[in-house]
Amino acid sequence: MASEKNNHHRSIPDINGTHPTPKKPKLSSSSNFITASEIQSEFSHHDSAVSRINNGSFGSCPSSILSAQQQWQLKYLRQPDHFYFNHLKPAINNSRSIIQNLVNAKDINEISIVDNATTAAAIVLQHTAWCFREGKFNKGDVVVMLHYAYGAVKKSMEAYVTRAGGKVIEVPLPFPVSSNDEIVTEFRKALEKGKVDGKKIRLAVIDHVTSMPCVVIPVKELIQICREEGVEQVFVDAAHSIGCTDVDMQDIGADFYTSNLHKWFFCPPSIAFLYTKKNPKTGGGGDLHHPVVSHEYGNGLAVESAWIGTRDYSAQLVVPEALEFVNRFEGGIEGIKKRNHEAVIEMGEMLVKAWGTHLGSPKHMCASMVMVGLPTCFGVRSDSDALTLRTHLRDVFGVEVPIYYRPPRDGEVDPVTGYARISYQVYNKVEDYYKFRDAVNQLVDNGFACTLLSK
Amino acid sequence: MDNHDDPRNGTVQPDSKKPKLTHPISSHELLHEFSHHQTAVARINNGSFGSCPRSILTAQTTWQLRFLQQPDDFFFNTLRNGILDSRKIIKNLINADDVEEISLIDNATTAAAIVLQQIGHHFSSGKFCRNDTVIIFHCAYQAVKKSIEAYVIPVGGSVIEVELPFPVNSNEEIIAEFKKGIERGKINGGRVRLAIIDHITSMPSVVIPVRELIRVCRENEVDQVFVDGAHALGSMEVDVKEIGADFYVSNLYKWFFSPPSVAFMYCNKNKKLNDVHHPVVAHEYGNGLPAESAWVGMRDYSPQLVVPSIMEFVNRFEGGIEGIMKRNHNMVVKMGVMLKEAWGTNLGSPPEMCASMIMIGLPSKIRVMSDDDALRLRFYLRVYHAIEVPVYYQALGNGERDARDKDGFITGYVRISHQVYNIVDDYNRLKTAIIQLLQDGKICSELPKE
Repeated sequence: MASEKNNHHRSIPDINGTHPTPKKPKLSSSSNFITASEIQSEFSHHDSAVSRINNGSFGSCPSSILSAQQQWQLKYLRQPDHFYFNHLKPAINNSRSIIQNLVNAKDINEISIVDNATTAAAIVLQHTAWCFREGKFNKGDVVVMLHYAYGAVKKSMEAYVTRAGGKVIEVPLPFPVSSNDEIVTEFRKALEKGKVDGKKIRLAVIDHVTSMPCVVIPVKELIQICREEGVEQVFVDAAHSIGCTDVDMQDIGADFYTSNLHKWFFCPPSIAFLYTKKNPKTGGGGDLHHPVVSHEYGNGLAVESAWIGTRDYSAQLVVPEALEFVNRFEGGIEGIKKRNHEAVIEMGEMLVKAWGTHLGSPKHMCASMVMVGLPTCFGVRSDSDALTLRTHLRDVFGVEVPIYYRPPRDGEVDPVTGYARISYQVYNKVEDYYKFRDAVNQLVDNGFACTLLSK
Repeated sequence: MDNHDDPRNGTVQPDSKKPKLTHPISSHELLHEFSHHQTAVARINNGSFGSCPRSILTAQTTWQLRFLQQPDDFFFNTLRNGILDSRKIIKNLINADDVEEISLIDNATTAAAIVLQQIGHHFSSGKFCRNDTVIIFHCAYQAVKKSIEAYVIPVGGSVIEVELPFPVNSNEEIIAEFKKGIERGKINGGRVRLAIIDHITSMPSVVIPVRELIRVCRENEVDQVFVDGAHALGSMEVDVKEIGADFYVSNLYKWFFSPPSVAFMYCNKNKKLNDVHHPVVAHEYGNGLPAESAWVGMRDYSPQLVVPSIMEFVNRFEGGIEGIMKRNHNMVVKMGVMLKEAWGTNLGSPPEMCASMIMIGLPSKIRVMSDDDALRLRFYLRVYHAIEVPVYYQALGNGERDARDKDGFITGYVRISHQVYNIVDDYNRLKTAIIQLLQDGKICSELPKE
């Protein structure tokens, strides 16, 4: 497709007087899916010297969507007042409408667009803090979260919930993990703990796919348990989910649900949605507010989030293009998810076989990422070791992969304490993982240990 | 005159390594720098959304591409230092003591949330008492007012609004009103806990005598002073030590040529303001506002990284940013005077109370009688004359302050801006469009609504 090559050109075109029409790629007919060479072209801005097997951290965005984004940016810069008054809101609503369909939300008012899951967490937890402050919740009432919750969410808990008088209970999770039951058991125990002394559990914050270590959590089951056990509301932090797992709001049944579109749904940095289930009794969305207050305060979270002061909103406007992009693949986003999943498991199994280790979870508890045990001779003994190893792999071998330190448990003999979280996205190739395999093998041969690198 | 490396050729150094140009920017180069602006539009509203020249957009694109090429490497090895470089430049520009006093955030709206969330905590904790107050100007930016509604009112705080005299003739008029407001706050032993003072108000636009007002605040034991200088950087001198505020914010994308969007927030370290946090909490929580603001989750931070390139850009002008400010001021006053004489109206404030924007009275015959009328006129000018200029409705009722022209009371004003890309013809077109309306006998309420 010739138009794709033009989309790499990132200098600003001279457009004077004429309204720029975005270069739209032709839609694929069923016999004309995107080819391997086109995929390579779409991601040719990735550093070709790097085995980029960490899509999970920062995601990826194809050239054609970057170009579409640039068109929006230029449109704004050309005449910002006109853009603000006439273009911005409809374009955001268009994105929201597509997301609503993608996630099977009943009402577009349930979909707000925010920067990222970190922001969504601040929105939900600030609301929780207000409930404590206003006396709606009693001091000592509980918020439950997973021990493997994302670091930013833990800090948000501290800043908003603990500070306002809430008690935070963490659910310890086993890792490596072999079944959903292990998670369910721990979760039930934590709920029991939360209800001690007549306290109420006001909110459960549950990851759909934990970040580190990376495991797919049985959220539907946990939410059912929450409802049975009288947990008032559930917030699912599904930062990775859209484009990586199924995201059906009716099926999952959460009160609040957030996912980033820039991780696995090919959007540029950065855009996420926050779903807030409409309360059938009050009709409201839970009275959430964006913490950056603008003149739209009080007009509903979706409207507040669509204007938080002058910003570049272009990343929020290319959801139509992202949908077009995924539909160039066989099976659309479902096809992509399926193939990513199969490939990452295949690569994971190849690696653990080569190294004599194991996967961190069974394949039904993985989506497009999997934790791969590293040879114990590396001696990963701390988070700092893990980071050192990661840096070493990047600097010396050109492999980008996050490393997780898993503290050993009592009684374990020669346990695996280091895991790599590999991702698989449409731009990855088998060679990326061979390079990683060979790098680790070489390190083993050289007698590498983390202590050698630590200062 | 685009001598930047082709970003398609792999890693590119940011612009700080470019050779310095030895001649001031030519008018041809200037035209090219803003050639992405819609031609044929008289863009005399730089104050609302600002403007960004091509060379800085290119620098921004270079940063964005570096991130996209290898985001992990960028995050671990490049981002933090890039933000620090920008913060150091800002610190020098505004005469702050310590780079730790400088945080980069999206915009002034975010700064308001930071300050007010902190004030709200003091009310919740009992440090501030019920009915202690926050004092603002009645024309404070709407987002700031809403932020007070969100963070202060629900926890027992109250607001005192100080009327901004407008049209205004001197600083003394403003100081007098402000003093009255402070007195209202002290009734019944109350305390004024926070003063939010615009450096340059938005609508109507006037330069406020912030130093004097802060002196009044200190004399009256106001706990905290937050100067909302949204327009200030790049349109007037900002010396935070001299101004003496506890918090100071200014946007860089309005008058300092950055892309949307970035602002700096200054927090006076001598004030020992702890508990000032970015409301989007991430893993740097508790490490100080600069660190917190430098990572609020995955974002495009490229606007925060181009400040070195901005310095290069402004230094291509004679006199650098000071020269730009001076010329913008002189031109906007000149254009303002030209318009008011053509229309037989007035200026909203004397030239010494303006920076790069000025308010000019509209002929009373046009009959701007409501905010709705003002919006209609703005829409009409945009659609029928390709002129972008905000229109302000000033209700009557100030007695001797009410301005008049030969036909009646002046209740409408335009706020014109002058930035380096503007030309005299932009303002002549406005002059003519209004005169044409008068000749056609049209009034605002007859104009089509959007």
